[in-house]
Amino acid sequence: MSEIWSAEYTAEKGDVPLYMFRKHEGPPDAANPRPVLFLVHGSSFSGPSGFDLTVPGRDDYSLMDAFARLGYDVWTLDHEGYGRSGRTDGNAPISEGVNDLIAGMDVVEKETGQTSHFFYGQSSGALRAACFAAARPETVRRVVLDAFVWTGEGAPTLIERAKKLDQWRASNMRPVDRAFYHSIFNRDLPGTSEAAVPDALADAELQLCSEVPTGTYLDMCAHLPVVDPLDITCPVLILRGEHDGIATEEDLIAFFQLLPNQDKQFSIIAGQAHVAPLGLNRRRFWHVMDGFFKMPARRDPYEDEDRQKIEERRRAGGRS
Amino acid sequence: MSEMWSSEYRAHKGDVGLHVWRKRIGAPNAGQADKPLLFLVHGSSFSGRSGFDLQVPGKPGYSMMEAFAEWGFDVWLMDHEGYGRSDWGEGAFAYVKEGVDDLKAAMEVIETATGHAKVSMYGGSSGALRAACFAAACPENVDRLALAAMVYTGQGSPTLAKRAEKLDEWRSSNKRAVDHAFFASIFNRDKPGTAEDEVAVALADSEAALCTHVPTGTYINMCAHLPLVEPEDVKCPTLLVRSEHDGIATDADVMEFWARLPNKDKQFTQMDGQSHAAALGLNRWRFWHVLKTFFAMPPRCDV
Repeated sequence: MSEIWSAEYTAEKGDVPLYMFRKHEGPPDAANPRPVLFLVHGSSFSGPSGFDLTVPGRDDYSLMDAFARLGYDVWTLDHEGYGRSGRTDGNAPISEGVNDLIAGMDVVEKETGQTSHFFYGQSSGALRAACFAAARPETVRRVVLDAFVWTGEGAPTLIERAKKLDQWRASNMRPVDRAFYHSIFNRDLPGTSEAAVPDALADAELQLCSEVPTGTYLDMCAHLPVVDPLDITCPVLILRGEHDGIATEEDLIAFFQLLPNQDKQFSIIAGQAHVAPLGLNRRRFWHVMDGFFKMPARRDPYEDEDRQKIEERRRAGGRS
Repeated sequence: MSEMWSSEYRAHKGDVGLHVWRKRIGAPNAGQADKPLLFLVHGSSFSGRSGFDLQVPGKPGYSMMEAFAEWGFDVWLMDHEGYGRSDWGEGAFAYVKEGVDDLKAAMEVIETATGHAKVSMYGGSSGALRAACFAAACPENVDRLALAAMVYTGQGSPTLAKRAEKLDEWRSSNKRAVDHAFFASIFNRDKPGTAEDEVAVALADSEAALCTHVPTGTYINMCAHLPLVEPEDVKCPTLLVRSEHDGIATDADVMEFWARLPNKDKQFTQMDGQSHAAALGLNRWRFWHVLKTFFAMPPRCDV
């Protein structure tokens, strides 16, 4: 088995530098490019901390390593205000996250020569990825939206979070500490992840920051929906942990039913909570994602016609 | 690589002998299940081997059995009563509930041959209804269940509305004539061009060698007796595959069924560019890929 190769990059969003991290099984080979998988983090921890986590005594928590070994060229980015990226006076809402991704794509294209990629977004990262897919459809081949929420109606986690809405509005940053990271893994159903994971995540994250931006929390509590399903034209997988208070199943099914591309999938993973990539059943989760990305190409004569119909509907204003 | 191995068996539902067919890579060791077991359940209009092990002249890659055998499965199917190489009891309509009895008889054969009788099960069209009813009746026999071209209540289904125009005819006889034109209609009724023309011909040739009529029971069930199974009664992990162009049900009807499935290990996949008989369509490899991924789900490791 080849070694995992990695590299760091910096994207520029105006004068805000954005940290990017890439992993690949062996060094990239321009003659044999692998499909790019871009991982989009959520509200509370940065890209490498979540997607390339080292848990003491364990060697199987890195989503980046797993997908590098499955044949992908795996990238992630720290959004503005997170991890190793630059800070501003802003609160880094979803819309800014889309701008971060646009900046990140310049780097990916320069390094790989590729212009269309697989995307995975987790929690508010799923909202960023969905909004990005709507804004830049030519850049997204297939997208996985995990721990996603559409309208937020009836979502226990968001109802609880909204109690602090004034606090999220009052400040662009919110403090994070070890207890907070534990709460992420225990708020839905304790026992769906190993106890060492929140500590490892806290160890990784707290050496980078003591606070994170409030923009995505504010968006999720006060501004949903932030994306119209009819604007997402690529194939979509909605991935949901069985125990995830971020949304109701009804909310996600309604979103799924409106997705215009008829290459779409909704998977619920039993025994998983909100942060499924770091849960006990993460291998089941990875398996479903990999299967979705590796869907064989269509062979019927209607692909171009279908693409045209979807695009016409989007240009006509979607829902109308 | 080892050769494709096949064998036929006979299941017995009382006096009715039922054809059972098995394919896998390499000969099995009697009484041992050394590969995951996959059982394929056919629908209303053609037998198991014709549909799932079809040989299309000049066009390899149509046998779903062989594809899954190559992927490491021990693949089984049967011809239900009145179909293909199975017996047809006098006057039998071969309703879906009798199809469940057929499957129970087949499980005995599998258990004798492998020592196990818990399978991953796939059913298409009324085969999905048989498989879902079987999973509800015999949960101990079904590990994971994939249902394609499924219908729940039938409300708003164009195909069933059309079919119901002949309900009196289906009720008046337990036999329904099939011919080349009928088989061609299966592939063209939803979206012409989603299957190769040669497929309907090969399927018709295969079936014509076995029969001129098939039972009417599942047609009657689908026109007059839906729903036959409630989602709450299907307890195992379930995949529901819905083709974009399939008049057998509406999107809303099958989503309602899926949403109410109680096991939270479940998946709904909508597939573009496919119609009712997806397993024999141009995009069958996409369809098989989705099934394979679902059946190959790693085991749970939470408490």
